[in-house]
Amino acid sequence: MAQDSASVTYSTTEEVDFVIVGSGSAGGIIAKELSTAGYSVVVLEQGPHLQAADFKHDEWGIKYNFDLEWDWRKGHPQTRRKTEDEEAVIGDSSLRYAHNVGGGSVHFSGNFWRLREIDFIEASVRGPIAGTNFVDWPITYNDLEPYYSKVDWEIGLSGLQGPWDPPRSRDYPCSPMPVKSSGVLLERAAKKMGYTAYPAPVAILSEPYDGRPGCIHCGLCNGYGCEVDAKSSTMVTMIPKALASGNCELRTGCTVSRVNTDESGRANEVVYWEQDGTEQAQRAKAVVLSANGAETPRLLLLSESDRYPDGLANSSGMVGKNLMFNGYSQAIGIFEEPVHAYKSIPATRVIHDFWTLDEDLGFYGGGGIDSRHPFGGNLISTALNGGIFGGPSWGAEYKQSLQHLFTHSCSFDGHTTSLPLSSNNVTLDPTVQDMWGRPAIRVTYQEHADDIATMKFFMDRSLELMEAAGATQIEGYYDEGAPWTQHLLGTCRMGNDPDTSVVDRYNRSHDIPNLFICDGSSMVSSSRGQPTITIMALAFRAADYIIQAAEQGEI
Amino acid sequence: MNQKRMSRRAFLNTGGDVAKGSCIILTIPMILTACDQANEARINSGAYNILSDEEVLEYSAIAARIIPSDESPGATEAGVSYFIDTVLGDNMEAQHQILREGLRNLQSEGLVQHNAAYFHLLSEEHQDQLLKEIESTEFFNTIRFLTVAGMFSLPEYGGNKDKVGFELLGFVDQHAWQPPFGFYDADYALKGE
Repeated sequence: MAQDSASVTYSTTEEVDFVIVGSGSAGGIIAKELSTAGYSVVVLEQGPHLQAADFKHDEWGIKYNFDLEWDWRKGHPQTRRKTEDEEAVIGDSSLRYAHNVGGGSVHFSGNFWRLREIDFIEASVRGPIAGTNFVDWPITYNDLEPYYSKVDWEIGLSGLQGPWDPPRSRDYPCSPMPVKSSGVLLERAAKKMGYTAYPAPVAILSEPYDGRPGCIHCGLCNGYGCEVDAKSSTMVTMIPKALASGNCELRTGCTVSRVNTDESGRANEVVYWEQDGTEQAQRAKAVVLSANGAETPRLLLLSESDRYPDGLANSSGMVGKNLMFNGYSQAIGIFEEPVHAYKSIPATRVIHDFWTLDEDLGFYGGGGIDSRHPFGGNLISTALNGGIFGGPSWGAEYKQSLQHLFTHSCSFDGHTTSLPLSSNNVTLDPTVQDMWGRPAIRVTYQEHADDIATMKFFMDRSLELMEAAGATQIEGYYDEGAPWTQHLLGTCRMGNDPDTSVVDRYNRSHDIPNLFICDGSSMVSSSRGQPTITIMALAFRAADYIIQAAEQGEI
Repeated sequence: MNQKRMSRRAFLNTGGDVAKGSCIILTIPMILTACDQANEARINSGAYNILSDEEVLEYSAIAARIIPSDESPGATEAGVSYFIDTVLGDNMEAQHQILREGLRNLQSEGLVQHNAAYFHLLSEEHQDQLLKEIESTEFFNTIRFLTVAGMFSLPEYGGNKDKVGFELLGFVDQHAWQPPFGFYDADYALKGE
């Protein structure tokens, strides 16, 4: 574990400029931006501060025992149901997220697809979709472009501008990652079918950059922490700079229970438990919530008071609503020659020809296709799936089938849109509590029919591509009824209208002027399955605005 | 082209639901501690923490039918029983009890059908036939899950002795790679497209 080596410590009774709840993709960036601009910052992170030496290739520990995540086995239950008529039951967490400094950026795959111009104005271009909360963003691509470029350069991305990509003000700082066999198979299949595959943009370094080494292609990114710091998590890019500023104190093992407000209704104090259960409260001039799309709405709902009976920042009633998962589908193929997709980063080629689907199809949707190891390069997962092509799942023939399943396989994966619905949401469970006695997160989620149609569309394209690629055995599925996601989106959406959104176009609460909310919850639409670059760009943009507001004495 | 489609997820690429049908994955109470030196010594000496001698013989026999030893090592050579011992020893008395009951049921079937009190004493043919009958039970799915996990997890957890599981899958346990990674990218580099 890393020493937090705080160059500064603040007293809880001292009023700091900012308390930031969460140190992940958004919180890490805002902490760095505000502290290097000279403001006093306390970051509260419920997990530990890990570092490269803490990570290893341990599938059993990490994938099957949730080393990087917390769930009900560790005192953090979630409940789940499809509709509000059902009683929610405890199960494996539906909303899964890392608990550590850097949050999900530590164990993500690093696929960084910018949104395009259309994503921000899609509702008005296409028209509303009945029964959904599908609306335009309050900002445009041009508003966000400078901050996408900031992500490219401050976080560290590798890539090459693709033929369908929106305009960019700067090239990528690092050249694309070398293509893997799985990428070659996708690219060649795409060519046959008249599509374009191009280098996947990733938040993983192809070469040394900003004091960090290039990727050594060890093969386990997805779900694992990087053992050499080549993955551009906020843990290695932003947090060290925040701490080095001398203005930022990072407090780990701190679980926030509520945000208090003063007589004028402004946020003035963040209450939390230290690891041993000691309750503390940090006073601050302003509060930034970047706790993720599950924890942020829960915290707002938990912070109810006489003045804010429905929870903080919730005069719209939209806190917790519009939860979006992102759709997923997969076609798996076996090839004659070794693919070895278990080496290097998950995806090296993407197809973005289907970003927006033809309206004549009769449903809304879009996304991208990339190529990967079907089981994330994981050995146990591969072997558990032995038999997927119809063979036995144990015995001599099963054993025989395993080798090609691991070394000669690759998948074409569809990453797709989800529509925002009021009925898909995060609420407080009325009976189940976590280890702190807080109401558990209750997830109510059922895909819109268009989300399912989109997944199926992408599976069908992937199957065609797999055939064009020359696979000898092919199987596919789409993720209808998906039980979980790591993309926690939409639950405190941004918008211009305080009646239908939680934060304004600068991530400032409509209700409470010194409360800022920035993480996956801010997303108005779901992205094409790769939301993190947009969350990070929003964080850089929000930080700029927060600094301006502070300079003007508004904080 | 194979037109068969799965209408919903039948397999997943991460933990969790992939082991549905097993009582283990849904009940692991905490992070398993990687084996320490004492555990290593236990494995080297052949001692088990909580499995009885009978259980070791019986679970090993089942595991050996799930991943048999043929021209390459199977569950037996991987020492999967040590992995099972490690997992069940980690605060899993309830799950252990489910397995004990499942084993008793399997044994009584063997006695009725083949007049042998212990599964490991049956012929391979009879073993396979009995396992086929219980393929969809929680007991079998749990043993299958533990066998696979023990075969392919890090040797520190007790199984995958001498990394025979890695070898079986064709996984080369090397920490860093350089292109070419596989056949097709080598070919691509040669042809330029």
